[in-house]
Amino acid sequence: MSTVLSEGVIHVSNDCKACDHCTFICPTGAISGELGQKHHISPKKCINCGQCLINCPFNAIHDLSRIEELKKALADPQKFVVVQEAPAVRVALGEEFGQAAGTNVKNKMYASLRKLGFDKVYDTEFTADLTIMEEGTELIHRVYGALGVPGFEEVGPLPQFTSCCPAWIKYAEDNYPLVLPHISSAKSPQQMWGAVAKTYLAEKLNVDPANMFSVSVMPCTAKKYECERPEFISSGYQDVDLVITTRELAQMIKDAGIDFMALPDEEADRFVGLSTGAATIFGATGGVMEAALRTAYEILSGESLGKVEFDAVRGLDPVREATVEVPVKALGTSLPVSVCIVTGTKHVASVIEDVLAGRSKYHFIEVMNCPGGCINGGGQPIRRDTY
Amino acid sequence: MKLFHESEGITRRQFFKGAGMLTVAAVISGVFAKFGFDVFAASDDYITQRVAGLYTLDESMAIRKSHENPEIIQIYKDFLSPGKVECVSPKAHHLLHTKYGKDIPGFIAELKNPHHVPEVESAANEETSTEEPAA
Repeated sequence: MSTVLSEGVIHVSNDCKACDHCTFICPTGAISGELGQKHHISPKKCINCGQCLINCPFNAIHDLSRIEELKKALADPQKFVVVQEAPAVRVALGEEFGQAAGTNVKNKMYASLRKLGFDKVYDTEFTADLTIMEEGTELIHRVYGALGVPGFEEVGPLPQFTSCCPAWIKYAEDNYPLVLPHISSAKSPQQMWGAVAKTYLAEKLNVDPANMFSVSVMPCTAKKYECERPEFISSGYQDVDLVITTRELAQMIKDAGIDFMALPDEEADRFVGLSTGAATIFGATGGVMEAALRTAYEILSGESLGKVEFDAVRGLDPVREATVEVPVKALGTSLPVSVCIVTGTKHVASVIEDVLAGRSKYHFIEVMNCPGGCINGGGQPIRRDTY
Repeated sequence: MKLFHESEGITRRQFFKGAGMLTVAAVISGVFAKFGFDVFAASDDYITQRVAGLYTLDESMAIRKSHENPEIIQIYKDFLSPGKVECVSPKAHHLLHTKYGKDIPGFIAELKNPHHVPEVESAANEETSTEEPAA
């Protein structure tokens, strides 16, 4: 099988000019090498985020690609190949086809995936909604536990950290094992989708899950590592078989000679394809937080939100905080929910230290490794024009 | 004091030469600084545009809250917690939750051999879901 778990996803090629730029980008100090010497990435320290890759001025850093394996699976009539795409892919894929950054090309993306031979085209946004349900409920339970509500003695401690970002998870496991009980036990949307596909979906479609090949298109190189982690087998099979990046999808579309912008607008397949705006904003920093607040507020208060936007959690500053007053119907009082958003793993250490020292005033902390969130992930189109 | 005596000996020509070199160096470093600044200003642009793209898309969606997604309600009623919408139900817990760090080996053993340790996790959860009162 793949060597991803032992050797990591990100590798430096011989094109390295030893400019040392990547060592300043790397949030974990995983890259070593003297000036003038080919650099090396330690797979033990590397969290597979790919920030060095998209920022390398010499295009000398590459992520492990399994695109040939995917082409074989697509050509195999025995295999039922299903695909999911993350929210951040749809606003960046167009850049590979001459569109401005931020252009929404999701309908052409669905069409292109069908043209490439995928049997069913779904959307990760469905399980982003599912993540909010599970992770939001977990947060409510932890708040009840901290308030001493009977029946919630066994829940985890506050504050709760988000669990969607696989680079953040590996960072926490490698560097701060004591903070792990604070991380939501909810899987990331990609892994939830994989588990649901080979159980619920396979049953609905009457497909043998053994023949189902589950692919995901991600803005992220760390997702390639995540899908191969040995614990993601709750469907009885490897939940997600293979991950390709936004860049690799663009390459496949170009290799197949598809005129992307001329494709008709299509919709994703239904059943596990319908999604909400809350799921869409998962791709931006603060998005998971905002989506969780929309749901947690309505469930806790029993009231409908007038304005769904939480502007206080938006922005691009590496560490942001906000307090939202939530009326809790079950307790008859109002609770100030204090939240924090971290974008960029370099900035997370002080937040973690506060939590471990018991100084943290937050209830819920969102951590995304890449500055700006998944839209700036290591699998996104590389912006050479800026160099 | 000796230093001062030596520097007094600078000629008019030497002074212009030195000043000229300093000026050229200042101009060159200014150009590089501007170049560096432009690089970072530009790279911020596409990040902001992609974020804006997602927020625009959110505004255009008919449903904007996860718990109002009819397919989410359906998957709970059909599959995760038959007959009702109950988050963190035993099945949801099995399929949608995970463990981290040193808890992983035991978690994998449990997933691979669910009948071996039913009394620890799964059975306890199936009988009386401790989280039930919240929903």
